[in-house]
Amino acid sequence: MTASASKVARRKLTNVVFEAFCVVVTVVALVALAAILWSLLSQGVGGLNLDIFTLSTPAPGSRGGLANAIVGSLMMCGLAMAIALVVGVLGGTWLAEYGGRSLYGSVVRFINDVLLSAPSILVGLFVYEILVAPMKGFSGFAGSVALALLAAPVIMRTTEDVLLLQAATLREAGVALGAPLSLVIRSILWRSGTSGILTGALLAFARISGETAPLLFTALNNQFFSLDLRHATANLPVVIFNFALSAYDDWRRLAWAGALLIAAFVLAVTILARIVAKEQRRS
Amino acid sequence: MTDAALSSAAGSRRASPRGAAVAKVFEGLCFAAATALLAALGGLIVSLVIGGWPALKQFGFGFLTSAEWNPVTDVYGAAGPVVGTLVTSTLALVIALPIAGGVAFFLTELCPAPLRRPIGTAVELLAGIPSIVYGMWGLFVFAPLFSKYVQLPLMMAATPGSLLEKLTVGIPNGSGILSASIILAIMILPFMAATLRELLLTVPPGVRESAYGLGATTAEVVTSVTLPYVRTGAIGAVMLGLGRALGETMAVTFIIGNSHGFPKSMFDSGSTIASTIANEFTEATSPVHASALIALGLVLFVITFAVLGLARLLLRTPGARL
Amino acid sequence: MNTLNPTEGFETSIASVGDAPVKVDVRNLNFFYGGSPALKSVSIPFVKNQVTALIGPSGCGKSTLLRTLNRMYALYPGQKAEGEIILDGENILASKDLARLRARVGMVFQKPTPFPMSVYDNVAFGVRLYETLSKADMDVRVQDALTRAALWNEVKDNLKGPGLGLSGGQQQRLCVARGVAVRPEVLLLDEPTSALDPISSAKLEETVTQLKADHTIVIVTHNLGQAARVSDYTGFMYLGELVEFGPTNQVFTRPATRRTSDYITGRFG
Repeated sequence: MTASASKVARRKLTNVVFEAFCVVVTVVALVALAAILWSLLSQGVGGLNLDIFTLSTPAPGSRGGLANAIVGSLMMCGLAMAIALVVGVLGGTWLAEYGGRSLYGSVVRFINDVLLSAPSILVGLFVYEILVAPMKGFSGFAGSVALALLAAPVIMRTTEDVLLLQAATLREAGVALGAPLSLVIRSILWRSGTSGILTGALLAFARISGETAPLLFTALNNQFFSLDLRHATANLPVVIFNFALSAYDDWRRLAWAGALLIAAFVLAVTILARIVAKEQRRS
Repeated sequence: MTDAALSSAAGSRRASPRGAAVAKVFEGLCFAAATALLAALGGLIVSLVIGGWPALKQFGFGFLTSAEWNPVTDVYGAAGPVVGTLVTSTLALVIALPIAGGVAFFLTELCPAPLRRPIGTAVELLAGIPSIVYGMWGLFVFAPLFSKYVQLPLMMAATPGSLLEKLTVGIPNGSGILSASIILAIMILPFMAATLRELLLTVPPGVRESAYGLGATTAEVVTSVTLPYVRTGAIGAVMLGLGRALGETMAVTFIIGNSHGFPKSMFDSGSTIASTIANEFTEATSPVHASALIALGLVLFVITFAVLGLARLLLRTPGARL
Repeated sequence: MNTLNPTEGFETSIASVGDAPVKVDVRNLNFFYGGSPALKSVSIPFVKNQVTALIGPSGCGKSTLLRTLNRMYALYPGQKAEGEIILDGENILASKDLARLRARVGMVFQKPTPFPMSVYDNVAFGVRLYETLSKADMDVRVQDALTRAALWNEVKDNLKGPGLGLSGGQQQRLCVARGVAVRPEVLLLDEPTSALDPISSAKLEETVTQLKADHTIVIVTHNLGQAARVSDYTGFMYLGELVEFGPTNQVFTRPATRRTSDYITGRFG
């Protein structure tokens, strides 16, 4: 009796220790993450003003903003998403509807999974080798390709999952009317999977908009305002990187403001993705 | 039934359905897109091998074992960054894993219902914060505090010649291997916690409830029922976290100190493969230097490919797809 | 004509349909999922402008048989059929143009499958595949199909509304309308009322009875009462074989084999 009583006591103690550990680490983790967000807000808000959106990056000590970097980033991400959507949706469709069960299909799926979390700096190196070096110059276009390579696997995976989740009978119902499979995919399956694919695309967009490493040797940077993606293009992440590591206080202030902008943008896009996903679950 | 009569009554009837002409084209496009990604990875490997070949040929196996990295004399050995990468990633994992596990268990078993969703959502959202933000925070906020409250006191406490002195050698500016590992750990923490939580939520409620029904405590339910239930998936998630840490550039570059060679202690500055490439690639003027950096990239690829490949294989087991 | 097949272990009884015109004639059909046989030497005639019900316990092959008639199985690699299915003198198992075949042989599924588009576009979808109609002609066609499916009065004011916004019973009748709008010669119904409430089921049964004036109908059902109410011929299947086939009233009132009578009287199933 006493033996079992002491066993119960020991079990209880173990459990108390375990639960306390869980609570403590959760508090620690949340405090650390809150501290990061707090620094971001307190340091970043001070640098935010209208100049950020209207002026280009300055020389140290003069007035300036991040307009060239913001516009450059938007252009590059936009082009990257356009490329990634085409490749990702078509590739995901192939995996789900045509060749997913073949050996080649499983190789493609495995490779896609590897690309999904490959170090982004290697993608930068790769694009440097195939685009920047042969064309003898950094370009916003090369930056877009690097970002597209990071976004496409995400969209491809989501598209495949979304298409496979649809009832087989929806596919059969279209085919049963005498429609070719390709038409059923385009006008029925894609349409009913739109919000799912959109969720994946938004998450991919959120991911690439904060990526720095692949742009370091592709888009590089440009201190002037430019809409031409054929040359080195200013972008927020690289500007933040350069300015943060500089010795000038005003550049550092701009870096914090830029970091706040990017983080807020990424959070907004992620939240939008979650809303879209929720809407889809409701219908 | 007068089918023919019916169909000729109004409009024209086609021999083959709308869209039939482009069916093959469409399938071909889909195939091409899938192949494009395959080709991208293939191209990535080939370009790393070609680009890194001159350095690998010149330095041979010594490239991996030598810690001398000297752009002035054009002699390059990768041991410093390679060891730095492995040490920071492993340390980050050791720090982050128990915390991420604790957070996931807290959210699935202990958290009061009204807080469950907000905290879970917050963790998921934080997983998406760009890594450059973690890097900046590490350099400007964490490093000074770390130097003042951890590094300096420890160095003060160390008597000359003691083991502690050996362990704490380094410039007391808060940058270094340990700082980089901590920042990496904070960065992969939300991702790992969110992934583990999602995995634990896949355990059927009946399984958990029947364990509780037998009188098991929370600790017993977690360690002997829910965690074993998602075992392979959890290992995969941990490996994915490791993969992220291995390839992470920005969170590390800010705070590791960026010095070549072997770090002498946990507080000494060092470098990782990714940070070395990020810092030097655009400034590499000699062909051998650029080639050595690309060869470094190849080494990083081999390491992450092995880790990620293993993770994906484990996650592929039924019920654990992420 | 009664046949006894002692090698298969149980007796079968396949009645002749006499002089009735046969729209689809299935002859010695074998079907395989991968390596395992799902249909064993099935021969059954489907009489033109009549309703034929296929009944039998779960897994007996009745849905499989239905899915060979429009070769739906061809979507899935590894599934194959051997034998002959003659539609108007042509063996559809040898047919290359599957899209064309499926336009002639329509299908309605167990669960409603409205497409993610408006009610109108759902019905017009199949028509647009093969025909170029003026707006006015298309309106007529859509109204006609919806009327045949006994849905027109309920949706005529909301044709632009989403098909997914209808109730379950309405969705299923929308799928029937979509199927008949392309004017198929044969209509396959795969347990069309199993997901519906009794009132919606009754409406759909009424629709089926009216549709046979223009279509040859094959219906798979678990509901014996439904088979008795709507069909002219009934085939009873068991373990991949056709055990009994004949006029419905005969199969239900005087089953020729013991297995059929056991199933009909509820002794197994």
